[in-house]
Amino acid sequence: MGLSSASTATEAIKLCIFDLRRGQQEGQELDKILFFFPADLPFSTQLSVIGLSEGLITFTRIFSPEAACELIEAERHSHVFYEAEPDIWMVMIVEKNESEAIWRIAALQKVLKEVHSLFLMFHGSIRALLEKEPAGGLIRAHLHPFMMDYLRDFLFGKKLLLPSFRDCLKECGTVQMLNVSREAAIEVQSLVRLLESCAGSSPCYSLILFQDLLVSTTLSPVDTINLFTYAVLRLTPRTISSGVSSWSYLRKGSTGSSVTAGYTLAHSASVPDQYYCLPDTSPSGDNNYHVVRPLKRDRWSKAKDGFLVTDIWSAEAGSSTSATPTIWLQQTEERMYLCAYQFRSLTLILVVPVASILNGEQLVSLVKQQVLENASLKMLKVEEKLSKGWGGENAYHVSGYRYLLVDVDRNVSRASPPGKVTTLTKDQVLRTVIVKGPKVGRLFPLQFSIPKVVSLACTTTANVNEVWHKKF
Amino acid sequence: MSGKASSSQSSVGLSGPGGLSHVYIQYPPLQCEISGSRGLFYDDGNKLLLSPTLDQVFSWKTMPFSPLVAPTSDTISEGPILSIRYSLDAKLIAIQRSNREIQFWHRETGETFSQSCRSESESILGFFWTDCPLCDIVFVKTSGLDLFAYNSESKSLHLVETRKLNVCWYAYTHESRLVLLASGMQCKTFNGFQLSSAGIIRLPRFEMAMAKPEANSKPVLAAEDIYIITVYGRIYCLQVDRVAMLLHSYRFYRDAVVQQGSLPIYSSRIAVSVVDNVLLVHQVDAKVIILYDIFADSRAPISAPLPLLLRGLRRFNSSASRSGREDIESSEANVVSGNETITYGDEWIFLVPDLICDVASKCLWKIHLDLEASSAIAASSSEMPSVLEFLQRRKLEANKAKQLCLAIVRTIILEHRPVPMVARAMDILVTNYSHSIKTGSYLKGIKSEKTSPSTVPHVSSPSAVAEVTASRVGALEKSVQHEFAAGVDSELFNRSSTLLSSDSEDNAISEPQKTNSSDIHFFYGKVDGENLMGAETSSTDVQPTSLQHQLLGPSNNALNANAPEQQEAQLTSPAISPDQMYSFIFAPIEEEMVGDPSYLVAIIIEFLHSANSEKVKVHPNLYVLTIQLLARYERYAELGLYVINKIVEPSKEVALQLLESGRQNIQTRKLGLDMLRQLSLHHDYVLFLVQDGYYLEALRYARKYKVNTVRPSLFLEAAFASNDSQHLAAVLRFFSDFIPGFQSTSDHNTYYRILNEMNSSIAA
Repeated sequence: MGLSSASTATEAIKLCIFDLRRGQQEGQELDKILFFFPADLPFSTQLSVIGLSEGLITFTRIFSPEAACELIEAERHSHVFYEAEPDIWMVMIVEKNESEAIWRIAALQKVLKEVHSLFLMFHGSIRALLEKEPAGGLIRAHLHPFMMDYLRDFLFGKKLLLPSFRDCLKECGTVQMLNVSREAAIEVQSLVRLLESCAGSSPCYSLILFQDLLVSTTLSPVDTINLFTYAVLRLTPRTISSGVSSWSYLRKGSTGSSVTAGYTLAHSASVPDQYYCLPDTSPSGDNNYHVVRPLKRDRWSKAKDGFLVTDIWSAEAGSSTSATPTIWLQQTEERMYLCAYQFRSLTLILVVPVASILNGEQLVSLVKQQVLENASLKMLKVEEKLSKGWGGENAYHVSGYRYLLVDVDRNVSRASPPGKVTTLTKDQVLRTVIVKGPKVGRLFPLQFSIPKVVSLACTTTANVNEVWHKKF
Repeated sequence: MSGKASSSQSSVGLSGPGGLSHVYIQYPPLQCEISGSRGLFYDDGNKLLLSPTLDQVFSWKTMPFSPLVAPTSDTISEGPILSIRYSLDAKLIAIQRSNREIQFWHRETGETFSQSCRSESESILGFFWTDCPLCDIVFVKTSGLDLFAYNSESKSLHLVETRKLNVCWYAYTHESRLVLLASGMQCKTFNGFQLSSAGIIRLPRFEMAMAKPEANSKPVLAAEDIYIITVYGRIYCLQVDRVAMLLHSYRFYRDAVVQQGSLPIYSSRIAVSVVDNVLLVHQVDAKVIILYDIFADSRAPISAPLPLLLRGLRRFNSSASRSGREDIESSEANVVSGNETITYGDEWIFLVPDLICDVASKCLWKIHLDLEASSAIAASSSEMPSVLEFLQRRKLEANKAKQLCLAIVRTIILEHRPVPMVARAMDILVTNYSHSIKTGSYLKGIKSEKTSPSTVPHVSSPSAVAEVTASRVGALEKSVQHEFAAGVDSELFNRSSTLLSSDSEDNAISEPQKTNSSDIHFFYGKVDGENLMGAETSSTDVQPTSLQHQLLGPSNNALNANAPEQQEAQLTSPAISPDQMYSFIFAPIEEEMVGDPSYLVAIIIEFLHSANSEKVKVHPNLYVLTIQLLARYERYAELGLYVINKIVEPSKEVALQLLESGRQNIQTRKLGLDMLRQLSLHHDYVLFLVQDGYYLEALRYARKYKVNTVRPSLFLEAAFASNDSQHLAAVLRFFSDFIPGFQSTSDHNTYYRILNEMNSSIAA
């Protein structure tokens, strides 16, 4: 993903979500705005941004009703459009800078898509929340903290930095998988079956991660991606122990030292909430809504029994749902309980349907007990096997190369390890080498998709052949 | 109870719960009624039942056991007989005439000679023949052991070695080649020797534990309270402690004797048998049998105590095919009904390992284990995996044990028992299979019809077991005999191999393990002869190489038995191969199962897990089945993981199934295509590419890998279907360039014309 790491001032990035169906009358334009970042911008400025976007959308729809506007390239800014739901648009405005003439538009769109998918997973669709409360207070109360929590991951000091392709090779909307031997894979599958049998007859799903890598999933691809993204953001051992999202290359890669990471942690924690207008100063000004903030940082911790616990959901007073985390599955549109268990580097996520039981809390504790009783030994074994077979953080490094492999069919990607990025000289970084799939077939039997590579890694379209050493 | 009564009772018993029994004796017994008989003796070295009369000795072979075996007779001189044993090469007969003298009789020449004690103070307690290289016969005397070698030229014995010991009484079985000599006030101090073909091993002296009824009383251990048994090639000694009501067990190692724990007993009189390595403890007073499988550390009985069943009385008459037997049959039935057939009568003498001699009615019964019943009974009470383990250890009725195992596994899967339990069952079966492969006891010789599911008795309930029909009893018995016979010689090898492996597990196993499975126990018949006659000495030409006989004898038996029913005889191990696991467990279950397949997939995973850890290859059809199951319920994500992680091993069958299942799911189809390519199945790969419309890619691939078996018309049709004249032209050109003579084929003409039409229509 080639987002800019240029020292963009906070105000250089704007992100807004608006609904075209609202505020069509004169004087009610503010109704359209569901979310705006930065929130402290004057409404006139906000409205002008949205007005421009809306105008362009309306205009382009004349020619292309299905897929309207994708991008505006202005002299100093790029506007990236993403239609998250029908008539609900997300627009990101980033400042251009000289060093990176071409913006990675697709990648930015994927960021928008990712945040929306996560929102769907936790809160359901924006439209549904709007219909629940047409005044819009509810959706604003949900969107604001959610988006802010998400953006906070990119917060560096007081600046919001999106990592550039130099800092990382990452493909949004894909999962990174661990290579496992057949023996370990069978062991893992045996564990999966055991876990799923713990929930009794109800159809439950599981996701298993080793470090930040996916080992097994029984969820549909789209739900796998969402849950995987969330797990890597908030649940993996690294995020829990350090409080730093392992997702971001910026923190591990470019700065590359734990000292800075510590600083980041301390600093981001010290950033006053009001600066980013968190709930107290949310534009809706309405605090009656109880809002769950699943992306809030440092709220997950490992309990003594190995299960991950959080207080994010517990504050949901007066509601019928319990303190157990819940998510929506996109594939089946079911509401599910989320149970996470961690054993050393292994993270197990169990998803149990809410509908299947009357008392959620009881069921979840029952499932937990079952897992502990039946699966502990197996988990120990699996963890041991996987650790033995794992070559460490840099296992997938190909010396002298930086690569990104994407399997579009399976939504799987693999890239050079972030730690190795800094070992390349600046020149090498610029002249990134892409390794073709079959070359590393031993490591990762993927089909390589050429169009993806071009869209991901091209800095300049003019001299592709000079810059990229494609190995075929 | 008359014979008739018992017959009716047993038939009633078969249909009701009262007839539940895991051990039975099969009617008819071996009749050894000889007029003028002066007692019955059992020669465990040769497995002969001996009945001497005044001047003759009749002998019946008990191995293989057949009730129809005719006795052979030898003439001997008159005189008292305390004990009688044939030499291991069967050329000499040794008869203990008194406690001072043993007489030898050469069977061919009729020559005799005798050997007696020199000293007045000692007396002979008994003797046995041995295959020890050092000596041929051992006298057990109150002063110790005398080891004699037989000299065929001088036709006499000469003393090789003397072991001085005080002996009160002794116990010996030929099966274990072990002699235990009791000494001391309480007769509980033991010296042991093993005289095997590998030499003589002296065991360390040890004492047996005996509870005292009162503080100062000292019970004396009797010879009847000691049993030497051989189970899984291990030698144990069982000792009855009448005060504590316990059966202590000791295991013998080369340089140690280790107490192995105790079994409770519930009867003042007990007896011990070993059938197919299962220990049977007869609680004689209570007339029940408790089964123990002392392979594992567990001392828990396999099942609840149940009575001994008399099976199959008069059943044979119903079978017309056995007309040859009928007259004998009926006459024998009369004999039996004339006498009393009382189970656990006072006249019953138990011969280790598995024979019962009824001294009163002069008949010999063989004890059989009813695997079906015992497993069904055990299944109802205890854990399924242990039942499987038990069945997998059975050798005598390997085929039956195997069928039972298959039925049990099918049942537990169909009943959706917890996955860990089924996993354990899978593990047992696979481990056993791989072990049997390693030791070579697994022979692929089972005809599929023999193991077809329809003939498999379903053992889910005890009542099903009770529905044993008469004809089946007969058939079973027949096969049992054959299997038994065949089992003998295979056991020679099996044993030694299992021993070797057990050696490694507790590397202190003694020499005894190398003994083969011939069973022996001595048997004190009721000797009524008071008149001690002078020994007639004679010499005979006997070759002292008893070893030869040992090797030849059993294999001859096996050959004879093999001839009629080879298929059954070949099956010497109940191990189940992965192929059979597929055909008799997974495939039938898949048909029967309804609903979510995740349970079955879980079971398959567990099976693969076991197979992988034992490095056993799995039938590709099982993978195909897995894919079908996952695809049917649209669990494509998992399916993909299985293929990518190679849980499902690549094969052509698997690839084709992936392509088939991938009709609904493009990723899955691609996996199938990739697998074809990786397996270098170029022809199929090209064919599927064309089918999917990637005809240009298919052409490139075909050119690269020189695939020329795919018809050009397929490519041309695909290109035509895409309605792209340029592509069609390219394909046409490709074939014109690379296939000599293509331009003259009808394909070329047809598509050339079509191409022209397309071009002209565009131009127009």
